[in-house]
Amino acid sequence: MSYLMCVLLLGLVLGLVAVASNPSPYFAAMGLVVVAGVGCGVLVGTGGCFLSLVLFLIYLGGMLVVFAYSAAMAAEPFPEGWGSWPTLRLVGGYLVGVAVARGLLGKNWYEEDWSGFDSILGLTVLRGDVGGVSLMYSSGGWLLMGGGWVLLLTLFVVLELTRGLGRGALRAV
Amino acid sequence: MTPTHFAFSSAFMLGLAGLAFHRTHFLSALLCLEGLMLSLFIALSLWTLQFNTMNSASLPMILLAFSACEAGAGLALLVATTRTHSNSRLQSLNLLQC
Repeated sequence: MSYLMCVLLLGLVLGLVAVASNPSPYFAAMGLVVVAGVGCGVLVGTGGCFLSLVLFLIYLGGMLVVFAYSAAMAAEPFPEGWGSWPTLRLVGGYLVGVAVARGLLGKNWYEEDWSGFDSILGLTVLRGDVGGVSLMYSSGGWLLMGGGWVLLLTLFVVLELTRGLGRGALRAV
Repeated sequence: MTPTHFAFSSAFMLGLAGLAFHRTHFLSALLCLEGLMLSLFIALSLWTLQFNTMNSASLPMILLAFSACEAGAGLALLVATTRTHSNSRLQSLNLLQC
């Protein structure tokens, strides 16, 4: 289990290296999908099943789908690939940066614990993070309503930004 | 620094570097911003899970809601840029150049 957590944490860092050094937005979106999936694995390994499910559904299934459509609109039809020299230099630079930071900040491999710790041993109906999120509805009710109001306002912001200031109705780009 | 802490901290720093050194496409910068939000979500969730403070488990949910707002606003800006400049490359945003 600790090996699995090690692989997942490594995948997290490598996936974001791919996102940061992307040659084209298609590859950045693919890297984000990989990072979100691996992050869900990390959360499940430390016992947060509900938060992992929320990440999968809302982030991957909601937001990244919208980003994929936007990449289909905005990016060019013939993107440059991973083999181009500036991209490889950026990938190498980010990997060296992460390795240097790990060498400076981390300890030896035998001094640290890589595995997550699931504190609820066994199968229960009400796990820890589910109980915590339910506080959003009881004590944090005002924050929930504020968040809903902010989402409604964001809808109006988006409509206003894409309106074109009187130069036309909503039209195809 | 524990490996988990190092992993999401370096993920955040990598996303920040990708956002700061954006090269050609506006959408690449927006996707690095989404990577920042994702690393923050994982960080907050791991905080509640590893320290057993389940009261703060609603924090990553609220972060996700506001990050969705921000992603929508960023994509609306991308659409507006594509309309006025006919592409979304960062070289074409040169009105403020000297």
